[in-house]
Formats: sequence, C-alpha cells, structure tokens
Amino acid sequence: MRWKTTLTGSAALVLLLLFCGGDTHAQESHIGNLTGNVKRGKALYERYCIFCHGKYGDGRGESAPFLDPKPRDFTKAVFKCRSTPSGSLPLDSDLYDTISRGVHDSGMPSWKPLLRQERADLIAYIKTFSSAFQEEKPGAPVEIPPEPPISAESIQRGAQVFESMNCWSCHGKDGRGHGPSASALTDSKGYPITPFDFTSGSRFKCGETDRDMFRDLVTGLDGTPMPSFASAMTTDQRWDVVHYLRSLSSHRTHGQLAPISQQ
Amino acid sequence: MEVLTLRRIGMQLLALGFLLTSVQPAHGIPAFARKYGLPCSACHEAWPMLNNFGQTFKDNGYQVGNGRDAPIYQEPTYWPITFRINTSWHRESNNRTAVDVIPGNAGGGQVERTVTTSGFDVNSLDIVTAGTLSSNISFFVQPFINSGSSSLAQAWARLDNLGGSRWLNLKMGKFEMDELISQERILTLSGTGGSYFNYFFTPLGDNNVFEGIGVPQLGVELSGHSDNDYRRYSVSVLNSNSGQSGVPSNNTYDVYTNLNQAFEVPKLGMQRVGVYGYFGQSPTYFQTSGGIPISGTGMGNRSFSRVGAYGQWYVGKFDFQTFYMHGQDNVFLGNSVPANQPASLPPGAKAPTWNGGFVEAHYDYNPRLILIGKYELIRMSQEANPGIRSNAGNLDAWTVGYRWYPIMNPRAGLAWVQEYGRVLNTGAAPLSGKDDISNSFLMGFDFDF
Amino acid sequence: MKSKFSFTLACALIGLALSMWGLAGWSSPADTPSSVKGTVKFGGAAPKPSRIDMSQDPLCAKLHSTPATTEDIMVGGDGGLANVVIYVSDGLTSHDFQPPAQPAVLEQKGCQYNPHVLALQANQKLNVVNSDQTTHNIHPTPNNNREWNMTQPHGMPLEQSFAREEIAIPVKCNIHPWMKGYIAVFKHPYFAVTDKNGSFELKELPPGTYTITAWQEKLGSQTQKVTVSAGEAKTLDFAFKQ
Repeated sequence: MRWKTTLTGSAALVLLLLFCGGDTHAQESHIGNLTGNVKRGKALYERYCIFCHGKYGDGRGESAPFLDPKPRDFTKAVFKCRSTPSGSLPLDSDLYDTISRGVHDSGMPSWKPLLRQERADLIAYIKTFSSAFQEEKPGAPVEIPPEPPISAESIQRGAQVFESMNCWSCHGKDGRGHGPSASALTDSKGYPITPFDFTSGSRFKCGETDRDMFRDLVTGLDGTPMPSFASAMTTDQRWDVVHYLRSLSSHRTHGQLAPISQQ
Repeated sequence: MEVLTLRRIGMQLLALGFLLTSVQPAHGIPAFARKYGLPCSACHEAWPMLNNFGQTFKDNGYQVGNGRDAPIYQEPTYWPITFRINTSWHRESNNRTAVDVIPGNAGGGQVERTVTTSGFDVNSLDIVTAGTLSSNISFFVQPFINSGSSSLAQAWARLDNLGGSRWLNLKMGKFEMDELISQERILTLSGTGGSYFNYFFTPLGDNNVFEGIGVPQLGVELSGHSDNDYRRYSVSVLNSNSGQSGVPSNNTYDVYTNLNQAFEVPKLGMQRVGVYGYFGQSPTYFQTSGGIPISGTGMGNRSFSRVGAYGQWYVGKFDFQTFYMHGQDNVFLGNSVPANQPASLPPGAKAPTWNGGFVEAHYDYNPRLILIGKYELIRMSQEANPGIRSNAGNLDAWTVGYRWYPIMNPRAGLAWVQEYGRVLNTGAAPLSGKDDISNSFLMGFDFDF
Repeated sequence: MKSKFSFTLACALIGLALSMWGLAGWSSPADTPSSVKGTVKFGGAAPKPSRIDMSQDPLCAKLHSTPATTEDIMVGGDGGLANVVIYVSDGLTSHDFQPPAQPAVLEQKGCQYNPHVLALQANQKLNVVNSDQTTHNIHPTPNNNREWNMTQPHGMPLEQSFAREEIAIPVKCNIHPWMKGYIAVFKHPYFAVTDKNGSFELKELPPGTYTITAWQEKLGSQTQKVTVSAGEAKTLDFAFKQ
C-alpha cells in the first residue's frame, strides 16, 4: 500500500509543478523584449476593448450587434492572423501584430497609439479568455523563404495554380471575390463572409507585404473559409500565386514593412 | 487717474465674469463612439479630456484608418450630431462686490459687500456635428446657444493627409487653436474652475481686441504629425480680430505655432512636452466716418505675444498637465491709447508683461472616476504704467473636484460632477483696491449624447 | 494564490486517485464481452432528398451521370435510417481507452463525403483522402476541438486527429458549398454508425448497465437504457420520425 502513496504523492507533486509552471507562463505574454502583465492588461481591456469584445472576451460586447464582421471571440482561441499552422495557437507576437495593425475593413482599429508595453499587457490578458493557451503551446512558426523576383512567367504559373487549386470558386475568375461559391460562404460562427477582392488594392487583413501574403497561404485564416495551402502548394507555387494576385490590382502596394512587433 | 483705472478694472472683471458664466462647454463626441462602436474611454482619459488614442484619431482627421472612415460606411445607429449640456446646482460668492448702501438708491453711495448667489442652473447647450465628409476630408461645426442667443463657436473643414502624408493637413475656418491642454476639453465646469485664466488674460487697462488663445480664431492652419502621433506641429495664420466672424480682418494677420514631442518613459507611461507662440498685431484705433469707427479698418497696429511651454505627464494612475505662459502687449495696447496719440501715454508708460501658468493633476482611478486638482497663477512682471499698483491683476486660483461616469457606453455618456474653486484677483476690488476673492461650488450632471 | 495552490493540489490528487481506481477496474479478470445490436427505423414516409447542382465545378458534375442528392436524412428500402451514430453515453466504469492504431478514413469522392457520418476515437488518426480530380478543402468546425482548414488537391496525403469528445463536428468544403459531413469523436470505442439499412452493432461491450444514445444530424437524439450480462447479445431498436 505504501508504494501507492509514494506514487500518488510524487505524481501529484509533478502535476502540481506542471500546473504551477504552466499557469505563470500563460499569465504573461512575451513579445520581443516586452513582457506583458495580465493585471495591467485587464485595466486596459476594460478601457479600450470591452464594448466590442465583451466582458468575457466572447465577442458579445454592447456594440457587437452593430458590427460586421463580428468582433473576435477570444474564448475559442481561433485567430485569423497567425504565423503558425492551421489549427494551432498563434504566437504572442502574432496577436501583438494584429492589434497594432488593426484589421482593415472591420471595426478593429490600429492600436498603435497605445504604448508597446500596453499592447503587450493586453495580449497577456486576452490569452486568459481561453484555457487553450494554458493547455497547448503555439505551433512552430512557418518558414518564409526569400521571395524570387517577379516575372511574367511567375505570374502565368500563379494563374494556373489559382485555377487548379479552385481559388476561383470563392475569389472568382477575375479575383473580385464573386466566385460561384462566394454567396454561400459563412465564417465559423455562421455569419456571412465575403472573399477578398484582389482588384481592390485594399489592404489585406493580416498584413500588406508579399511575405504576409505568402504566410497567409501557408497558415490559412482560421475561423474563415480561407484554408491553409501548407501541403497543397510548393514554395515556388506559393510565390507564383502571390505574384499573380499582386498583378490583379493596379495599385502599387509593394510595401516591404517589417512586422510591427519588430518596429 | 486712480478712479479711471479702477473703473477699467471693474469693467475687466465684469467682462471676465460674463465670460465665465458663458464659457463654452467642451467636447466629448459620442457620435464618434456610435460610428465605431468604441466606448468613450477608448479616446478620452475621462471625457472630454483626450488620451493619445483619441488625439491620434483627431489628428488623422477623425479617422481610425481601417477603411471604414468615409461616411458611406456608417453603422445604422450612427447619427453625426452630439449634444452636450450641464445641469447643476451651484453657489457663487464674491467678497468685495460694489453694492448700493441703500438698495434701490443709486445716488446713496456704494460699499463693498460679500455677495452670494446659489440655485439650480442649466448651462448653455452645446451642439456639435463633426466627422468626415469623405475619406480624408473632415469637418467640425459647433453652434453655441446661450440664453436665447446663438453664434457659431467653431466651423471648419480640413483637408487631411495631403499627398498621402500625415505631415500635411490644411484646416480652414473658425477653429480652436491647436492646444493639447484645451479650454474646449477642460474637465472642470464651475464659475472659478471652468477656464484656464491664462488662456484669456488681459492685463488691467489694456484694450487689446485679442481675447486670448482660449478663444476660437479665424484663419488657416497647417498641421502634421508622425505616424504614432508622437511628434506634432502646427502653424496657423489668423485674423487679427479675435475670431469675430462677419467682420473682415483688421488689415493684419496673426501667427500661432505649436510644436510638441512625446516620448515613453519605461514603467511610467507616455510624456509629452511642447512649445507654442502666438504673435499678433492688434489695432489701436480705426478709421471713422462721422466719428463712428468703420469695422475692418484697424490702424495703428501694435504687436503682442503669448509664448510658452507645456507638458502632459503620465505617471501610473496620475496624469499632470503643466503650462507656462509669458505674455506681452505693446505699450499702446497696454494703456488703451491710440498709436497716433503718443502724447496721451501716461508718463512712465511701459509694455505690460506677465508670466503665468498652471498645474492640473488628475488621479485616473478607473475609466469612470477621475479626481482633479488644479492650481493656476498669473504674475504681472511689468505693469502698463506707474499708476497701477505693481501686483494689480495678479491672480491665484485653485479648483478641486471629481467626475464620476455612471453611464459610459458608445451611445451616450453621463457624468456626475462636484467641484469647489477659489480665485483671488490682487487689487481688483472695485472700490477699495483690495484683493477680490470669488469662490464657487458646483454639483450636477454633465450629459453628452 | 495560496487557495489556488491547494485547489490544484487537491484536483491533482483526486484525478490521480480516480485514474488509479480506473486502472484497477480495467485489470480485473476478463469477462466475456457482450454486445448490443439493433436497427434504427424512420417512421412515416421517407422525405424526398433534394438534387445537388454541381455545375459550378465541371470536374464534380461529370462524376455523376444522374445528379447527386442531399444526404441529411437517408432512409433505406425497409425504412431503415442510415448515418445514425449509436454510442454509449453513460455507464462505463473504465475511462482510460487507447485509440486504435488503425486510422479512420474520410474520403472525398464524387464531391461528397464518404462516409457522410464518420465516428472515431479521440486522438485516433484520421486519414483524409481526396479521390476526386478537383481540389477540395476540408474544414471541420468543432465546438470542443481545435478548428483547422486544409486545402487538399487530388492525391495529397492528409492526416489529422481530434483530441476531445464531440458529437458531432460538422465538416464542410468551402470550395463546394453543398458538401456536408459529420465527424463524431469519442473517448471510448463503444460506438457505431448505422449502415444503409439502419443496422448497427456495439461489439465487445463489458457487462453492465448502459445508456445508449442515437444521434441523427437533423432528427436529434434519443436515449435508451440497456443492461447486458456477460456474453449476452441484446437487441435495441430506435425509431425516429420527422
């Protein structure tokens, strides 16, 4: 009987250490050399975020009924803009970049006027809305190799991949976002959602650079119909598609800005 | 000389009193909150005082920059009009008001008495409509309605982000000067606390038409800011008639400039320092016809200036606003003498100069409760003529109060306010030349829709 | 912080004790397994399935000489209701089950899911196969599991798994909006999906008293209690109607 007690005791201790260790780690955020604090983040959340994202972080704030797209439900821990594979949690820096950049064509402003430390604190608090951040670790960030130069051949190859991968069924043959499946699309909450119009020259939701587009193709935009092409395309094919999509817009938005978490 | 001077002092006080009771309330604009679904606290430390997010939104031309700024993207509940009104009970008291010895008998002599009034009151109604006319064109219109009369307090349009650059924004119309510590967004409302005295100060005996940097002016403003709004500049060219619309310029123009820089202090927060200067010329007499001045024909222009520095400091839950001003009016303006009659200057006349400033401290307990304490002073360093006592016109004022916001949502806001303030005007009592002390107590609601 | 410490410790101890007790239960002498089998029937006239228009993707349309039909209520010749998930919802004494090494397979064939309803165990490997010449994306939208969304051209291997029990996860293809399927995930192995005749069998059930639930994607759930003794093969029928 004694072995059982010893086993129980040591197992409990190990579990305890895991819980304690896991707990403290998930109560902070780490972005570059910033460490975010949950308590400060909570005060900031109640000042800035609560009316859209709700007291419980479930996206059901007072203003939510009037917003389209709906504010993010943090309790699901499903995020569009990540550098990690589809189905895995984002890095802290992914969340930081999202709130710094804002989400174009939505009610989410850019929170760059907040101090970097304040944004890091907010991320620490946002992670407390879902236990997934304590139970799992984020996936490994995707590799983004150097971009090959743009060429007419690359654009043509990209057009072929756009065709064979059925991108046109949502984005349309001309990339305007009116493909045959577009009208039936809903996000994972069931709200109607429209595919991106590549001719609009508008800013993408998860960053404006070619590297951001490449990364979006690998990670997909979780919570939306936009899937991950991680295994479906080779690296070269992905760059070809990026070049093709750029060619659809007459606007020259080739900005090579570094991610905001690095600024 | 003494009597004349004292009468002028009395008139100054009356003017000041009128200004205080009719001071325009400031702006928190729920229309913007309704448009974007954000709470008041996102843009305001405690409305109407702006925080950095709100200041950036304002500097961007009332745009968040998320592709939904143009008016065609309005939410169904967005109505681009804001009302602001205060209802309160307040008590005003002054220790040396000139009253008739026998009430009703104008010829029976006067004495100085303490006069106290109190009661319920409804302040002027502030209506504001502001926002974007289209992407990168913003506007602001503020009619001001008070005691049955109305005027246009502000009305301007601004071309934002010219050439795609945040450094070029052009504003035209009648507008508040670019001041980060703004009279329009002052947190206190009472008779003694509702103004930054430095923003309106004119020394005794001075007839400068310029009413101060706290008054909206007519002109154009070129302004710009860095991406995160840490560095800002503005330069304005303005009419020399203190913003009175319908009256053409007095043939000269004033210039106002404001430069400021913000920086982060680790563990404390964002700090901002700035310098400003208002350089103007005001007329000392007019062309007349049949003895009546022809408006817009100001002559004998003489210069004046208001320069200084200010700071906005965030230290944890506290924030401080500090302000310094050095003011100077030309000797002719200071003595109310037309420039073509130099012989009328009193002997020993000088250009009046003064220094003043204030410190305003806030304790931001949470987005719904802010405690306020303010101390302001003005010290004459040079009176306009030897006939004026050397410290006459000096001012000391302090105010304490708090604002509590039981209702703060994207639709409307309600604040409960209590304040007490006291202002001491040295040598300003109308009869005795002693110190004139006023105090006021206010409690009431500040309602913003 | 202190109360959290004691709470965590208590939870850890309780959890450990329970799992040890469960293991003890598992290692008791082998019983002859029992089974529960039966049929699920649909009462009344079978609803007529609607036709699916696959013309937007010619590679799908050409796979069907007669148009495909919706699969939400599939009634066989004898009134048997297909694609009903039958499972033990209460009564199991052991709680520690390893997922089988054999992967479950979900096939995209003819631009429809095959099977329409798939049941597997938590952490069991799921092989997703695209047998069509066209590219699909496979997009489960769970409530209790991680959501992912992967594009799969013809022949690309794809392996995933679900960590938590959920009945059932809707699966869709955004490219082909008519494609709909369900994946039911269980912690234990006592589940089955009815075939086209509505028949099922829950095999190798330890003797005991159980609550058996039948779940259909449109018609909801029904439960029944059953007691099986060692070696017994009980029959249990369900009847659904609209």
